[in-house]
Amino acid sequence: MFLIKYIKEVFGAVKSLAIGMRRTLSYFVRPKEIITQQYPDERPVIAERFRGEVVLMHDENNEHACTGCTACELACPNGTIKIVTKFDTTPEGKKKKALDTFVYRLEMCTMCNLCVEACPTSAIKMDTAYEHSVFDRNKLTKKLNNEGSKIRSGVE
Amino acid sequence: MTAYQITFYGIAALILVTGFLSVTTRKIFRSAIWLLLSLIGVAGLYFWMEVEFIAAVQIAVYVGGIVVLIIFAVFLTQQSGNEMPKAPPARTLFAVLSALFGMAFSIYIICNIKFPVRNEVLDASVSKIGTAMLHTGKDGYALPFEVVSILLLAAMVGCIVIAMKNPGEKIDEKIINHP
Amino acid sequence: MWSLNEIVKSTDLKLNELFKPGMVFFIEAIIVALLAISLFAILGLVLVLMERKVSSFMQVRLGPNRVGPKGMFQTVADTIKLIVKEGMTPDNADRFLFHLAPFLVMIVAMILLAPLPFANGFQIWDINIGVLFVSAVSSVSVIGILMAGWSSNNKYSLLGAMRSGAQIVSYELSAGFSILAIVILSGSLTFSDIIQSQANGWWLFKGHIPALIAFVIFIIAATAETNRAPFDMAEAESELTAGFHTEYSGMKFALFFLAEYVNVFIVCAIGATLFLGGWMPLHFGDNTTFNHVMDYIPGIVWFFGKTFFLIFIMMWFRWTFPRLRIDQLLNLEWKYLLPISLINLLLVTVVAISGWHF
Repeated sequence: MFLIKYIKEVFGAVKSLAIGMRRTLSYFVRPKEIITQQYPDERPVIAERFRGEVVLMHDENNEHACTGCTACELACPNGTIKIVTKFDTTPEGKKKKALDTFVYRLEMCTMCNLCVEACPTSAIKMDTAYEHSVFDRNKLTKKLNNEGSKIRSGVE
Repeated sequence: MTAYQITFYGIAALILVTGFLSVTTRKIFRSAIWLLLSLIGVAGLYFWMEVEFIAAVQIAVYVGGIVVLIIFAVFLTQQSGNEMPKAPPARTLFAVLSALFGMAFSIYIICNIKFPVRNEVLDASVSKIGTAMLHTGKDGYALPFEVVSILLLAAMVGCIVIAMKNPGEKIDEKIINHP
Repeated sequence: MWSLNEIVKSTDLKLNELFKPGMVFFIEAIIVALLAISLFAILGLVLVLMERKVSSFMQVRLGPNRVGPKGMFQTVADTIKLIVKEGMTPDNADRFLFHLAPFLVMIVAMILLAPLPFANGFQIWDINIGVLFVSAVSSVSVIGILMAGWSSNNKYSLLGAMRSGAQIVSYELSAGFSILAIVILSGSLTFSDIIQSQANGWWLFKGHIPALIAFVIFIIAATAETNRAPFDMAEAESELTAGFHTEYSGMKFALFFLAEYVNVFIVCAIGATLFLGGWMPLHFGDNTTFNHVMDYIPGIVWFFGKTFFLIFIMMWFRWTFPRLRIDQLLNLEWKYLLPISLINLLLVTVVAISGWHF
C-alpha cells in the first residue's frame, strides 16, 4: 500500500514537472511572440486617460481659460501648483484679477488629478507626455502659461 | 636528481609543512584547511606511485568526506572564529616530546625492516582489486570485506535509531509556526 | 580525413624531432594549459550569453541585444567591467583563505577537465580510473565553497556555504550511483573504453528503462551539485543575497561565476560521454549506410552538440522550476532519488548480467 502511494507520488511529480517544462519550451520555440518593446525605437501606445503632467490649454489665439481663482492650488495635496496673480484693467476701466504665472512643480506632482477636477473653467488637463527626465531638477519647475497669453474673452 | 625524485621531495615537503602548520596554527578552521592540503599531498604521492585507484579513494574518502565533516563540526562549534589561547608550556613540551618519540620509533622500525625488492610491475588495476576483494582463497579479502560491510551496516542502523523521532512524541506545532 | 587525432600526433612528432623528450613534455604541458585556459574563457563568455538568451526567450523577453550584433558581445563587455572593478576584502575576514577560495574552486574545475575526451584521441589524460577520478575530485570543490563562506565573516555567506555543503555531499551519492549504472553496463571505468562500448548505439538507448532512469537521476543530481536553480540554495538571492560569494567583488567574483559555468559544462560533458556516447556519432546497430553518413560529422561537433544539449536542459530546468526549500531538497535526495537509484542499480546489474542490452 505504501509502495503504491510512493510510486504514484513519483509519477505525479514527474508529470507535473513535465507540464511546466512544456509550457516554457512552448515559449522558447516561438520567439515571434516576444512582448518586449524596445523603447527608444518602438514607441509604446499610451492610453488617453494616462496622466503624465498637468498642462494649461491654449488655443490658436494664445488664449487660455484660467481666471487665476487658485482653486487648483487649494485642491493640490502636495503644494505642487502656485498661482501668481496680477490685476488687469478691463476696457471699462475696472480692475480685474488675472493670471500672471502658473507655476507647476513636476517633481512634487503625484498625478492625482484633483486640480483638474477642481478647476471651474476646465482650463487645465492631464497630458500623456511621459519623458520628463532632465539633467537639472530646476527645469522641473515649469511655467505653464505661455509668454504673452491672456484669458479668453467670455470666461468668468 | 631526476624530475621523478624532485616531484617526490616536493610532495613530501608539502605533506610535512602543511601537517606541521595544521597542528601549530591557532585558528581551528585554518587547521582543518592545512589538514586538507596535507591529505591532498598524500593523494598526490599515490598518483606519483601510479596507484590511481588508491589515490582517487584517498581524495573521495578523506578530502571529500572526512575533511568536509570536520569543517561542518568546526562551523557548529561556538567561538570557532576566535584564536585559541596559547597552550601552556608544559603541554607544548610534552606534545613535542611525544611527537619526537613517535618519529624516532617509526624511523627505527623503517630502518630495521628489510624491504624486499621486487622487479615485476605492480598491477593495481580496478578489476584486480575487485577480484581480490571478493576472492575467498589465497590473497582473497572476502572475509574482511564482509566484516567491514557489517560494521558499516551496524553504524548506519545506529545512526537511524539516533535520528529517528519517537512516534508517540508530537512536535509542538506552535513552536514551528511561530518561533 | 581531417581529424584532431592526426593533428595531435603530427605535433607530437614535430616536437620530438626538434627537442629532447623532457623538453617536449614541458612544451606540450604549456600548450595543453593554454588550450584549457582559452577553453575556459570562451566557455564563460558563451555559456553566460546562452543562459541569458535562453532565459529571456523562455520568459517571452528579448534578452541582451544592444552590444554587438544581436547582443553577442554583451558578456565581453561584462568581463571588461568585472576586470576594472575594485576587489574588496571585508573587515575581520580571514584574508588568506578569502583570497585562496576562488582559486581553489577554479583549480578543481581545471583538474576535472583532464580526463574528458573531446574527440577521438583528443584527451589530456586517459587515466584508467577516469570516472572514479572525476567523482572523487569533484567532491573537493565543496571545500572551496565552505572556505569562501567561512572566511567572508558574513552570516549570509556562512549559511549559504553550509547549505551548499549539505547539498553537494548528499547529491554526490545519487550522482555516483547513476554513473555506476553505466560503469556496470560498459564494464570499464576508463572514458575511452566507455565511449568505444557505445559504437553500436548510446547507452541511453541500449540500456532500456534502467539507463533512462539513471540518466534522469544523473541530470537532477548534476543540477544540484552545480548549485543551479531549482537547487540554488547556496546563493538563493532572495534569502541570502548571494550566499557564499556575497562579499566577493571584481575578478574574484568573476572566478566563482566562471567556475559555476565551467562546472556545468563539465558535468554535462560527463553526462554526454556516459549516456550519449561522447564524441561517438549516432550509430544504430549494424545499419552501415546510416552509420557511414553519421561518421562524416567530426567527433568534436558531436561532443559539443551533445554537451550543449544537456546544458540547455539544465537551463530549461532553471527557468521553469521554483527553488526548493532546504528540507524539500534533502527529502528529494534521501527519500526519493537515493532509494530509486539503489533499486535501479540492481536492475542495471540484472540487465548487464543477463545480457539484455543490445
